[in-house]
Amino acid sequence: MFGKLLKYDFRSMIKQFAFIWPAALVLAIVNRFTLDGLDSTSSVGETTAGIAMLVYVAILISMFIVAVIFVIQRFYKGLLGDEGYLMHTLPVKPWQLIGSKLACALVVTVVNILVAILSILLIVPWAASDLKELFEVFQYLFTHWNIQATQVMIAMLEFVLFSLTSFAVGYLHLYLSMAIGHLFNKNRVAMSVIAFIAIQVLLSILGNILARPFSDLIYPAFSRLDGMPAYHISMWVLIAGEVLLAAVYFVGTEYILRKRLNLE
Amino acid sequence: MNEQLVTCAALTKRYGGKRALAEVDLELGRGRIVGLLGPNGSGKTTMIKILCGLLQPTEGAVLVDGQPVGPYTKSIISYLPDRMYFADWMKATDLFDLFADFYKDFDRTKAMSMCASLGVTPSDRLKSMSKGTKEKVQLVLVMARKAQLYLLDEPIAGVDPAARDFILSTILTNYNDEGTVLISTHLISDIEKVLDEAVFLKEGQITLHDTVDNIREREGKSVDALFREVFRAANYEGGAF
Repeated sequence: MFGKLLKYDFRSMIKQFAFIWPAALVLAIVNRFTLDGLDSTSSVGETTAGIAMLVYVAILISMFIVAVIFVIQRFYKGLLGDEGYLMHTLPVKPWQLIGSKLACALVVTVVNILVAILSILLIVPWAASDLKELFEVFQYLFTHWNIQATQVMIAMLEFVLFSLTSFAVGYLHLYLSMAIGHLFNKNRVAMSVIAFIAIQVLLSILGNILARPFSDLIYPAFSRLDGMPAYHISMWVLIAGEVLLAAVYFVGTEYILRKRLNLE
Repeated sequence: MNEQLVTCAALTKRYGGKRALAEVDLELGRGRIVGLLGPNGSGKTTMIKILCGLLQPTEGAVLVDGQPVGPYTKSIISYLPDRMYFADWMKATDLFDLFADFYKDFDRTKAMSMCASLGVTPSDRLKSMSKGTKEKVQLVLVMARKAQLYLLDEPIAGVDPAARDFILSTILTNYNDEGTVLISTHLISDIEKVLDEAVFLKEGQITLHDTVDNIREREGKSVDALFREVFRAANYEGGAF
């Protein structure tokens, strides 16, 4: 059943982004050629390059704004609005409904980032010799600075994992806020915003209280480490923290949808 | 298979201080068409929402086919809410795909033929359909299932009398006759002729639950006439009548 939910969430995602993702890539290719106009002396070339760049940047920014709106709307309208009457009467469990929305939100985020990176690569006029030079730089680093390629790969993976869990925390924070907001019979949107801020405030208070004892706890162990091991461990501590927070938000949201559902 | 399809025991629902349902005991068998009858605000929608899992009772228990409300009971209940519940960008056929995916008892061929007889073009976007046509699509979705329990919340409240007959005949010709249909309404005269049983709900409490034949025999009047009598006091309480 979870797979079927994913299928419908992905369908609405593709519907939403079917235009903007290809548009970002096409505009990047357009910029690849119009950028040459900056070197020319003609003002036409310069203006064209300026406009093309402006449109490209606007598309890129709106891509990320649309993503946040999409994440909020798919949860609020899809589960807490009228569509909730359909979704909550399907033979599925509430955690599957939330999980499917979250998985879809994370995929949107990853594709957005990939499209952004790819579009930048498309704009820059790469030549075969550039790639060769880049390769040589890495080779130099690995041989002369005693950096191991596997260590770099692991560090990058840790960073990706940390980013993903951070995004998940961000989205689940939004979900929990909306779930709390929907418990009220009036001003649900305003209440969701207040819940969002309240959770943030609570979290920073907790952070302030716990920061000192936590650092006292792990500092002795850390002081004996250096370089990569210290980096790896701190990344995993951060990831664990994000996973814990995500779990708390998820459980809270699931509880509200399972026990306190209050559709209009 | 449990003998009783629906069992509610001391079911209570409070909204803040207000009691929408008060210790309701109700048993419904199989293969019946039951009218859940009461004026606006008597708890009909609350009752139906609890049965289909959209609300949690404050106290008491509900069993559908012997199971507490959850994925299993949702898989055997076909629910028609009192509102539109789908995303506008979809086509009716997209919804048929969704129902076929999630409900094993959804009969796509039947849905298509119901569309044909109701004059709905299923390949049209819902956005381009009139309100009445959207309601028909929703009715098709609900009745094209071979469900154990159909929960129909005010299916005829918003339409003109001619359309009421149309909707009722669609329900009657398409429901699974081993299943039970629970129709909530305050328009009794229109549906009395199709009911096997009537449940009167007054201020969150069941004041009567019997077969329509028994009611007619005992009271010597139609269910509609009895309903008007029972609820007159409530309607005109404190008034000049």
